[in-house]
Amino acid sequence: MPLPTTLKLLKDHSRQEILFGLARIPSSSRLFLGASDGKVYDVDVLAEKPEWKALEGHSSYVTGVALANGNQTLISGGYDGKLIWRKVESGEVIRTIEAAHSKWIRKVLSSPDGKRVVSIGDDMVCRVWDAESGDKLHELKGHEEKTPNHFPSMLYAACISADNRLLATGDKVGHVVIWDLAAGSRLATLEVPGLYTWDPKQRIHSIGGIRSLAFSPDGQKLAIGGIGHIGNIDHLDGPARVELFAWEKSEKLHEFLGDGKGLVASLAFGPDGKWLVGAGGDNGGLVQIYDLEAKKVARSEKAPMHIHALALVENAETLFACGHNKVAVFELKA
Amino acid sequence: MQSEIRNPKSEIASRRMFLGAAAGLTFAADMTVLNALKSPVLANELKKNDKRVILLWLAGGASQLETFDPKPGRPTGGPFKAIQTSVPGVQICELLPKLADRIGKYTAIIRGVDTGNGDHGSAARMMHLGRRDEPSIKYPDLGAVIARELGKADSQVPDYVSFYTATEGRGNAISQSGFLGARYGAMFLTEGNSPPNLRRLEEITDLDHQERADLRKLLSDRFARSRQSASLSSHNEAYSRVRGLMASEKLFDLSQEPTPMRDKYGPTLFAEQCLIARRLVEAGVPFVKVSRAWWDSHGQNFETHLELATELDHVMSTLLDDLQERGLLDHTLVITLSEFGRTPQINASLGRDHFASAWSVTLSGCGIKRGSVHGKSDEAGNTVIEGKVGAAQIFATIFQALGIDHQKNYHVGSRPLPLTDPGTQPIREVLA
Repeated sequence: MPLPTTLKLLKDHSRQEILFGLARIPSSSRLFLGASDGKVYDVDVLAEKPEWKALEGHSSYVTGVALANGNQTLISGGYDGKLIWRKVESGEVIRTIEAAHSKWIRKVLSSPDGKRVVSIGDDMVCRVWDAESGDKLHELKGHEEKTPNHFPSMLYAACISADNRLLATGDKVGHVVIWDLAAGSRLATLEVPGLYTWDPKQRIHSIGGIRSLAFSPDGQKLAIGGIGHIGNIDHLDGPARVELFAWEKSEKLHEFLGDGKGLVASLAFGPDGKWLVGAGGDNGGLVQIYDLEAKKVARSEKAPMHIHALALVENAETLFACGHNKVAVFELKA
Repeated sequence: MQSEIRNPKSEIASRRMFLGAAAGLTFAADMTVLNALKSPVLANELKKNDKRVILLWLAGGASQLETFDPKPGRPTGGPFKAIQTSVPGVQICELLPKLADRIGKYTAIIRGVDTGNGDHGSAARMMHLGRRDEPSIKYPDLGAVIARELGKADSQVPDYVSFYTATEGRGNAISQSGFLGARYGAMFLTEGNSPPNLRRLEEITDLDHQERADLRKLLSDRFARSRQSASLSSHNEAYSRVRGLMASEKLFDLSQEPTPMRDKYGPTLFAEQCLIARRLVEAGVPFVKVSRAWWDSHGQNFETHLELATELDHVMSTLLDDLQERGLLDHTLVITLSEFGRTPQINASLGRDHFASAWSVTLSGCGIKRGSVHGKSDEAGNTVIEGKVGAAQIFATIFQALGIDHQKNYHVGSRPLPLTDPGTQPIREVLA
């Protein structure tokens, strides 16, 4: 689909939980949602009467969910540092890795071929797992544990390219590493300091960080999202910010700064690689469409909730999103 | 309680040494005081007589749920776990593992604080004054009262030192000597860690400076001989303290501190200021406030507390250990206070807002029943269900822990003004 010109809310469901992670069975509206009550919810959100089936096993916020092995396996990770493998159809637990990370797991994702699972955490390590056996294949260490001002750093974001070859990870202070997923070797690094605010004078702490990453379909570009400089770091009162890089040349192609405020917590490229959708927000929700050819924010719309994760369907006509006490479905039209 | 030396000869010797140290304190409020304190006998003498306070002012409102009153497993609880402290049955947030090990040794937790005021400015004033403002009376803040009660007339170290380096909320964290007068006002440091304009100008020699002071005193004494005036004696007292205050500059100089000790505290500004606070109380400063701003986490509360509570855990634990190892903690009260806590409800920015209905305060060291917990909030943390206290009771408890009668009156004209409002009772469960 070419650049969408309209974005319409089709449906939303209110929940008591905060929903952090989202994985979708392809060609369906069946979602797995990681929640603040330590559960993963299995729900068809476009069903007439959606049934929310709860999968238990985590003891803190579930912040990452991913599907692998031909969508037969669901992997979830959370702030308890645990990774849980389950059978998608039955919910039966296949394996649990109790201390997959020594600190909070921020994201779990799978490679498009479904063979690899990647987890990142505040121990500042990215771990690559065999999706079927659960064997740990690589421990990728490329991010500092402390910020330059001696506070704990956080490893918030990761993405894998469509050809399963590239992995990118991004941290709180704006450091990005691009890895060869199969070899576990470092290919390049980028610095994106505009997404990190250290306030040395007024409040003496920090906010921000790289919250979202996405490779273009050809793997040549890397979109990096978060929040721009914030004057008052008590709030998410800064511009939603996305930077686009030709990562192999370490060349910044553009900075997208629209009227929207808050974090860009999740990003996805359109199928033709000419546009990008980002979502997040501050106390309210935000969805933005970025036109990469015109180098501008093409649309900036309010969402019914602060969004933590999104999934764009194969033809890019539907966008699923989850966040603060809600899950929502949007329709995109060119 | 620490054992005391009972050998009569030692007592005489120690008394003489203490008097010598006190004289040293008068005439050389500098490193010689710290060096004198290295003698355990002198330290014991000083401890018996001198009580001190270090107030860690957590400006902006630290979250009780991410510090001393966690609610794990509740929708309001947030993502952090509760961990067991060294006191059976008492848990605090996992962001404070070092303090958890030390609660039983040093600290009382007051969980049932309901101050009913969620406005930064007026709530901060209340938590500095221990009471609401009154239009006709300008009350002194806690530091000024402690300076008045515990400071020594002939001391040449400052009585009240206050650090507030961040700019946000600085105006709320008042330093107000009120009706006690400017003598008890704070040395208020806002830039860096050393008082500005304290150093003698390089073009004036120490001898010149001393001779100028002597000349000023000669003329002043001659002028005062035929006059009686409170302001005149205050003026002269201020001048008499100048050289002592100038000498105290070294107390603020961390290069005087061994590197391993500086490393223990850590590299942050808050860590440095807490180490200076230890140096100051060790040298006889009765009240030091270290303000750590800014905890006002309306957005990204958990990320903010990952930074600030982690820092508090390390620095406060190091400070308490350091005071204990030096034999000072029995005579030094370390307080954590904010203007309020934060809402149990988590907002859409993953923040917590202002909340004054059920929050927490800690008292460590001097006069405190260590490992005690007073008050209880409900399962979600929305209300106090046991042992509700307000600012006045906290202040009464602080005064009692220091051996100060909380019902003592000051007089402004003929009007008696008690240290805490009439009828206020201290929290006896947390007092030793």
